[in-house]
Amino acid sequence: MYKKILFATTGTPSCDAAARVAFDMAKRYNTELFTINVFGIPSRSFSQILIDIKTGNEIDHHDDHNAKVKNELEEIYQEQIQNYTPCETVVTTGIPHTEILRLARKKEIDLIVMGARTSTQEKTSSVERHIAGSTLQGVARSARCPVLIIGRAAASFWGGISNIVFGTDFSKASNQAFEFAFNLTKIFNASLHLFHAIDISSGPFKDTINQEVIEDRIREVREMIRKRYVSKMKGYNDYEINVWEGIPHVEIVKYARENFADLIVMAHHTKKMVPEEAILGSTVEQVVLRSNAPVISVNHPVRQKNK
Amino acid sequence: MTKKIMIVDDDPVIRKYLENIFKNNGYKTCVAKDGSEGMDTVTKENPDLITLDIEMPEEWGPRFYRKLSKTKPFNNIPVIVISGLTGNRYAIHKAVASLTKPFDKDVLLKIVKDTIGE
Repeated sequence: MYKKILFATTGTPSCDAAARVAFDMAKRYNTELFTINVFGIPSRSFSQILIDIKTGNEIDHHDDHNAKVKNELEEIYQEQIQNYTPCETVVTTGIPHTEILRLARKKEIDLIVMGARTSTQEKTSSVERHIAGSTLQGVARSARCPVLIIGRAAASFWGGISNIVFGTDFSKASNQAFEFAFNLTKIFNASLHLFHAIDISSGPFKDTINQEVIEDRIREVREMIRKRYVSKMKGYNDYEINVWEGIPHVEIVKYARENFADLIVMAHHTKKMVPEEAILGSTVEQVVLRSNAPVISVNHPVRQKNK
Repeated sequence: MTKKIMIVDDDPVIRKYLENIFKNNGYKTCVAKDGSEGMDTVTKENPDLITLDIEMPEEWGPRFYRKLSKTKPFNNIPVIVISGLTGNRYAIHKAVASLTKPFDKDVLLKIVKDTIGE
């Protein structure tokens, strides 16, 4: 299981839901927890003048500033730290996703936990409300460990893992995500839902009005799931296969909600072959922002020590 | 026949408060301190309605609800979520109502009466 979790936070209310999951997970699974807050971006290289991430104002960075921010952060999470688990708090400056990844490498983190957005600014347009934050994009793209993303407060009401939904589009990256999901399923003795949504909003089925054609495809996909994934499960029986037609992200969100999923596992992006070049895929991004379960994005093969 | 309400909450003060409200209005009550106790209590007491907290030490409310919804004949027992968590109305989407602590007891009683009667 996870030995080290890194919770990335701005210390603002937008990270409260992610905090709830991170601290609960650390306590529930007796895990070492690190909290990182990147509070300022240098205005120029090696400059003492920083742009405060919370306020957008310029601040003069001096030695005791780190201690002050650290105290503030420990006060914000005081109740969780006292009631749940001891954690090491790290405050630093720099480009947020770079610093988060740096610490994750240094501490050999097994799982990064963060919210979908870290900005507290009200998103005014409907488009902005449905775009994941740039820090998340940067972390999810390059992290060598899975990233657990909590997009909504409702996704933090979980209390453990016993019901996992694995969403696949049969890509190479999905194979890695499956390995991770199945490994997690075995560790937690959980139920695994193998799920695929046939996209009828675009692609070859866009103009299909014949339901029999769609249902033939559903049968084919169920068979693909059996061959590709169930054959690797070596007798593990607590699983089910479901194939629905519709708009993929909507169907996954609906399926997870109706089946009370504790966790959704998906490949980070499935079209680009080079993980570092892949932006968060539109399906996983929309699932992250809409789901009432946390989402784990897997972008690289998971290190053996997690198995 | 007197209707029975089951209260699931880890806070003994809230449990007692809800018990008093319901008893004073002619309902029977039974209690569970979290979701892990909840299913045993449901089986034993067969309540007509359940009030459910979300965040509890051993087993959270949504997990209890998942078990409840898969267990006949208890799967259609109406549930009212009562929690202090922001966004609790999205936690159990089939709940008949969601109230945020501190809540108005008259609002709660109206929901109860509308759902299971006097």
